[in-house]
Amino acid sequence: MKRKWFFLFLILTSTSLISGCWNARELPDLAIVSALGIDKNEDGKYVGTFQIINPSYVTGGLQGGGGGQGPPVTVYSSTGDNIYELTRRLSTKSSRTLYYAHTNLLVISEDLAKKDGITNILDAFERDYEFRTTAMIVIAHRSKAEDIIKTLTPLDKVSAVKVIKTLKNAESLLGEEPTVTLQEVIRYLVSPGKEPLISGITLIGKKKNANKVANTQESSTPQARLESDGIAVFKDGKLVDWLHGKTARGTAWVLNRIKSTIVNISWEREKPAIEYTVMRQKTKVSAHTKKGQPQISIHIHAEGDIGEVSVPVNLNDPHVLRKIEIEVAKTIKKDVNDAIHRAQENKTDILGFGEAFHRSDPKEWNKLKTNWNDVTFPKLEVNVTVEAFVRRSGLRNKSYLSELKNKR
Amino acid sequence: MPPFFKYKKQKVHTDQSKDTQDSANHHVPEPIESSLSANLDSIKQKTGHSSDIIVRTIITGNTSLHKASVVYVAGLVDTQAINEFLIEPLQTNHDLLEKLYQQDGLDKVTKEFITLGSVHPVTNWDELFLSLMSGDTIILIDGSNKAWSASSKGGERRSIQEPSTQVSVRGSKESFTESIGTNIAMVRRIINNPDLWIETMKIGKVTRTDVSIMYINGIAKTEVVDEVRKRLKRINIDSILESGYIEQLIEDQTITPFPTIFTTERPDITAGNLLEGRVAIFVNGSPDALLAPALFIGFFQAVEDYYSRYDIATATRFIRVLAFFISLIGPAAYIAITTFHQEMIPTQLLIIVAAQRDSVPFPAFVEAIIMEIAFEILREAGIRMPKVIGSTISIVGALVIGQGAIQAGIVSPATVIVVAITAIANFATPSYTVAISARLIRFLFMIIAAVFGFYGIILGFIMLLVHLVSLRSFGVPYMTPLAPFIPKNLGDTIIRTPLWAEKIRPRLISSTDNPVRAGEDQKPAPPQKRGMKKKNTR
Repeated sequence: MKRKWFFLFLILTSTSLISGCWNARELPDLAIVSALGIDKNEDGKYVGTFQIINPSYVTGGLQGGGGGQGPPVTVYSSTGDNIYELTRRLSTKSSRTLYYAHTNLLVISEDLAKKDGITNILDAFERDYEFRTTAMIVIAHRSKAEDIIKTLTPLDKVSAVKVIKTLKNAESLLGEEPTVTLQEVIRYLVSPGKEPLISGITLIGKKKNANKVANTQESSTPQARLESDGIAVFKDGKLVDWLHGKTARGTAWVLNRIKSTIVNISWEREKPAIEYTVMRQKTKVSAHTKKGQPQISIHIHAEGDIGEVSVPVNLNDPHVLRKIEIEVAKTIKKDVNDAIHRAQENKTDILGFGEAFHRSDPKEWNKLKTNWNDVTFPKLEVNVTVEAFVRRSGLRNKSYLSELKNKR
Repeated sequence: MPPFFKYKKQKVHTDQSKDTQDSANHHVPEPIESSLSANLDSIKQKTGHSSDIIVRTIITGNTSLHKASVVYVAGLVDTQAINEFLIEPLQTNHDLLEKLYQQDGLDKVTKEFITLGSVHPVTNWDELFLSLMSGDTIILIDGSNKAWSASSKGGERRSIQEPSTQVSVRGSKESFTESIGTNIAMVRRIINNPDLWIETMKIGKVTRTDVSIMYINGIAKTEVVDEVRKRLKRINIDSILESGYIEQLIEDQTITPFPTIFTTERPDITAGNLLEGRVAIFVNGSPDALLAPALFIGFFQAVEDYYSRYDIATATRFIRVLAFFISLIGPAAYIAITTFHQEMIPTQLLIIVAAQRDSVPFPAFVEAIIMEIAFEILREAGIRMPKVIGSTISIVGALVIGQGAIQAGIVSPATVIVVAITAIANFATPSYTVAISARLIRFLFMIIAAVFGFYGIILGFIMLLVHLVSLRSFGVPYMTPLAPFIPKNLGDTIIRTPLWAEKIRPRLISSTDNPVRAGEDQKPAPPQKRGMKKKNTR
């Protein structure tokens, strides 16, 4: 019996010692950081901007919660020589402990990304046990990270949430801007066969009014607003180029990151005539060596619906559909080729061709990898084949436009 | 343990046992005398001239007058039956008493004239008082040193009513009453089989309460029946007022919040458990029968599970088990999340909770404890309160604690929601006894969650599990058939398989000689050949 109690005591005491690193923290003692922006000032020091959620003002007229009108977020900033210093320096300004577990957005300014690169600043985020590596990372395009963080937005009151939702929405409906998380960026940075892409966000309109509550209180377009804006292309951790529109989408096609997108095709010399919505797609990138020369072939299989026609066209006719499919395939192929050329011009393998080589022929890859980005990749021969398929034509086969044509 | 206490405790213990043994061994029952007046005198003297002891002396006879007395306790007996079937024949049949004086006279008389149910001879005072006090009528005849006890139990009792704690939508609406005879009869009406055996004993030195054990011979395990009998015989206490006394005196493990004996007020539950091989214990004066051995999973089996179809039953039972877990760790999980693991909940939810907690002056643990204790007080008051002013409780509870506390900013709405869900989940457990234990353990979980977070909750769960598997109910492991794992008996645990698929009885509970409860091929199916189809004669 004595033995039993002794063991019980032993177990109970040892369990309290092996519990690891944690502490009890009450919610009112925490400052929930929703977004974090990193800039660099003239003195060469990092400037961190912390967007802290103000819970009472986010939830609005809540009983016992205070309610009232006020900004949904509070922004603090601090300067330091490295990232970790920033967060510690902030304690002189904040009454609550900063809490990073809900930080889902990391904004890096374009200047910083161009001049110094992002390589040096990501370690702190990956190392910290609170900060999530699944946080989305964006580049502030044509503005400072601080401005993005400070902007107040309507609908989604916390602008970090607004940015994340906007980017995800754009990715899933338009497919032009693949979103990336912190861990993906770090993985691509270290991978020799792939360079990172980070989507951009920009602040447009009257920047001075961005951090006023009034900015959220207009029914028309807010005076200052956040919009997704292109994808930043990195080489050796430094921003080298921005991709927009079709080039960005072509890149997304190669990366197999298209969830849904639209393709406009011309029909009988009219352009744009038919709108094709991609519902599903599959892109296969395969690498092989032909006569000692590395080659890449990309096969894209797209499947989708007819979204809109602006010319009278008979969708009952299989020949017509076949023609549409060929047109769509052409258009997609053009986008993809453009994107590949752009990447080759930039001499940075954002498309992951190197990884494809690594997978198919590791021995050959070992020879190629040293000069991959600068020598081999820009001269790489890429064959693109696209196969498009019209699955449905919506609720109508024949557009009323054809009847209108008959009437005349 | 220090020797001082050891010595003291042992001494007290031995003294007590010695006392009781002595009194039990040296008691020799006094025989009844042959003089009627002497007998009546001693009855009066031994009962302290109690006014409810009715003595009726009859003088009758053709040739010579003979005296006989009928003694009974008013209120315990069926007075009408005594008048019609005992006193009337004695008075009108003048040769009756004469016959009494003949050889085997009483035997003859009882056979020929006394039309009451059972009559048996009594020779000593102990037996006489036992049957007198339990509602039998005693016939004493002048000159005979034998008395006769005629069964005449009756009197006012509560009638059979609907069950009040184990309610079901479907199924019998009967519940046990305070009368042991009625209760046993109710079970007999369900199980019409001579193998339903009943053993009755008197327990309680002063109260001499009737306690019956009931089991189905051939289905119940003999070891369990013997164990129950042994434990009941061991009881040496002056009073048994309710089956709860028996439960506390015969359970396997006393240091546990979990009940190891199942209580029920429903005859159909009792019958169902008897058919699984359990032993039922009835106590006179208690509308709750005890069923042993009890399993942990048994406390989640509502009677309706067996009356409704298996898919519905499985779904509702799953809800019940879920509700039990919620009632255990509901507030604990809330405390753990809001003080340790803020990263575990979605950002939007965290913001809402944080906004509510912003103005609350207490830590989450204190807040939850305040609300839990307030709720427990409310519940306890609701039970004990006179029914007339019962509605006051709900008004005070809803307005003051619900609305007021939130508006005053003392507690956050989220805490109230958590406490309310926990309270409701607690009531979803069909067994009140196990619901109370969940109430108790919940507070421990809250404390451990406040100190260690989810890590503590998991530790608590492990300890709880270790405790549960260590429990035994009459030698049967409490967590059967989950631990020990008996795959064949899993059909009636978290899920309930269809009745036609449950072919064997619970292995550790029922007798191993007779494990099959249903025949082969019990699954119902549509007829093979329909009238409309042509018979395939070729």
